[in-house]
Amino acid sequence: MNLKVETRRPREGVAVIALSGEADVYTSPRIKQEIVDLLNNGIHKLVVDLTGVEYLDSTGLGVLIGGLKRARERDGDLKLICDNLRILRIFEITGLTKIFDIHRSESEALEKL
Amino acid sequence: MPETKPLAEVELSIPSRPEYVGVARLAILGVASRMRFSYDEVEDIRLAVGEACTRSIDRLNGGTAEAHTIRLRCLIDANRLTIEVRNPLLKSPPKEPSPDPTSLPEGDLSGVLIRILMDEVDTEERPEEGVHLLRMVKYVAR
Repeated sequence: MNLKVETRRPREGVAVIALSGEADVYTSPRIKQEIVDLLNNGIHKLVVDLTGVEYLDSTGLGVLIGGLKRARERDGDLKLICDNLRILRIFEITGLTKIFDIHRSESEALEKL
Repeated sequence: MPETKPLAEVELSIPSRPEYVGVARLAILGVASRMRFSYDEVEDIRLAVGEACTRSIDRLNGGTAEAHTIRLRCLIDANRLTIEVRNPLLKSPPKEPSPDPTSLPEGDLSGVLIRILMDEVDTEERPEEGVHLLRMVKYVAR
């Protein structure tokens, strides 16, 4: 299982990065690059859709934390979509639910941006 | 350390490269699935092993392209699974060594995950063998 990264622009200045597969030490550099490229292109409001992610490790979490930090430094934000209980548990046990806004649907995440 | 001989042992060696961590995860998934662990417990073990291998890669490679060998040893008992992750004890310490997962330094997500997901975790350096060892134990719920 590898990682698929698909990015859409639902509206001006906003991007939704949909991930599917495994976000780990091998694949996370691709996620980081996608986030950095979007931010460098002036898109500072990001939604990362984890709905299709079957595996997420500390490297993937680190990339998301870095993306959130970089987005906020540019007056933007990074919100997450996740309804997978296994993945949500990883955010909970690491205390990251206090840092990330995690939504159940894209419409809800976009509304909060 | 198990006090008696385990019922079975499974060993695997992988290069210390990110693309091989998934191989270790698949192998441990196979081992844990054959024991009386729940689905969630098997997933916990899989994630902990992935994190342990990632720590080994960080520790060994230290930003260099040189690949070392990470050895995993699974000791299967009726009531527990012990996983040992061994890698070479480098002569010169890495630039930024991974923190000890038995402590809880801020920002050490990998260490936090391993500690929470597994029932017992300890590390050991064996200079006489030239080995750094991370040992994790998961008990089968009664």
